[in-house]
Amino acid sequence: MTRISAGNLKKGEFIIYQNETWQLQKAEFYSPGKGSALMRAKIKNVISGKNIDYTFKSSEYVETIEVESVEMQYLYKDNENAYYMDERTYNQYTVPLAVIGEAINFFKEGEKMFVYVQNEKPLCISPPMSVRLRVTETEDGVKGDTVSGAKKTAILETGASILVPLFVKKGDIITLNPEIGEYVGREKEI
Amino acid sequence: MDIQTKIQNLPKYKITLEIKAAINHYFQNKGYLQIDLPVLSPALIPESYLEIFETEFRYLDMKKKLYLTPSPELFLKRLIGQGIGNCYYLGKTFRNSEPNSSLHLPEFTMLEFYKVGVGYKDLATEILELLRYIARCISGSAYSFIYQGEKISLARWEELTLAEAFARCSGISGSDLFVEDKFLQKAKTKGYNTSGFSYEDIFSQIIAQEIEPNLGKNGYPTMVYDFPPKMASLAKLSPDKKIAERMEFYIDGKEIGGCCTEVDNWREYKSRSARHMKKRKEMGSINHKVDNEFVEAIKDGFPPCTGAGIGVDRLAMIFANAKSIGELKLIEVS
Repeated sequence: MTRISAGNLKKGEFIIYQNETWQLQKAEFYSPGKGSALMRAKIKNVISGKNIDYTFKSSEYVETIEVESVEMQYLYKDNENAYYMDERTYNQYTVPLAVIGEAINFFKEGEKMFVYVQNEKPLCISPPMSVRLRVTETEDGVKGDTVSGAKKTAILETGASILVPLFVKKGDIITLNPEIGEYVGREKEI
Repeated sequence: MDIQTKIQNLPKYKITLEIKAAINHYFQNKGYLQIDLPVLSPALIPESYLEIFETEFRYLDMKKKLYLTPSPELFLKRLIGQGIGNCYYLGKTFRNSEPNSSLHLPEFTMLEFYKVGVGYKDLATEILELLRYIARCISGSAYSFIYQGEKISLARWEELTLAEAFARCSGISGSDLFVEDKFLQKAKTKGYNTSGFSYEDIFSQIIAQEIEPNLGKNGYPTMVYDFPPKMASLAKLSPDKKIAERMEFYIDGKEIGGCCTEVDNWREYKSRSARHMKKRKEMGSINHKVDNEFVEAIKDGFPPCTGAGIGVDRLAMIFANAKSIGELKLIEVS
């Protein structure tokens, strides 16, 4: 463990706060001009997945912990956990679904992503910026409907649903941001 | 690269220009004199928590320290002491140790204005009038605008004393808020790390953590007023000395500006100034030259007046429906 001033905290770091481990989702400087400067942080509990906002004084010390980021293959999930494998060692790791959040619904088995590991214990994952998934079900867009920004629901090969533009068709491969569950674009078939 | 051009921000940049034009129109119509001021000064009035930029003027073998002004206050108050009357400054100010963030830039545009013969609550009414004027220039409606999908009405303030805001948002009562020991104890039981930190430090931490995010969220801008004397800065105390006559206002959880009845007694000013300087020394802030002549300038009679400060970048961010002040800039330096 290392003690650093909260003013130096950066997104992605892991800290100990109230005896639990949290990952910084956001850290932003803020100065009200009446008292010491502050660091406004959004932190995610690596056990429960709970997000909270907390404001640190820039000069107060915060315990940070060293965490290794290991690329792993997502194997499968059950009702409570997701299972990953380190392809170098074939070791398997278990991550609670609550920690991964909604992103899990957009992962295909075999998808590669980074898992944060501390002392051989997985803490949480770093979802990929984007994933590619096939649309298995969606209504055909109504012809002549050119209203910009209009959306419809599409079911993806993982079973998850997402809002897509009207021109997306069944069988298309789309890219999306799994962390926020948002459509990014459509891939042209080769 | 440390310098980025952001031509995509042009529409929002143009809204910022319209807001500045609206501010100038408003004050000119109201008879305030626009004051153009130096941004470099050889001395400053001390403010505990504002760090400054220092630079140097050189000519042949002469060298002289200069400071970028963190606020136009020292110049405007000298002029008010000389009887200039109602006036305003709209321009750049500089604060060191404040890195770029969604609400901060080390150099930013400040509106500071002074009205003679009125108190802080009167000026709060005028601030609202100014906001309505800007809204009418920008959106065509003086009484409301939309920010991030929420309608904000400028028909009135949501008014809360600071004690009411603390009681409502943090469960800390007025009697605890105004008494240092009780306040720190209460903060400790709430889980804040108070050891080695001052009342001011914990006060601003709780404001940022528990109070601010809830202000200006009920469809109106919120004005919070009557601060503990310890947080007076240069605000005048009430006749019973129990509160500092200071207000701040918030829109969508963001502090946009505030005003206070100004200290008009030079002895009081001098003792507060000394306290600020002592605090700066304790914190290891830049030891700048103090504008001692300022006290002389106000000795001969400083009129009762109220001063207001508004962060124009933050205000423009709200009216331009932006999430960050960076969205208003054509050039971004980091």
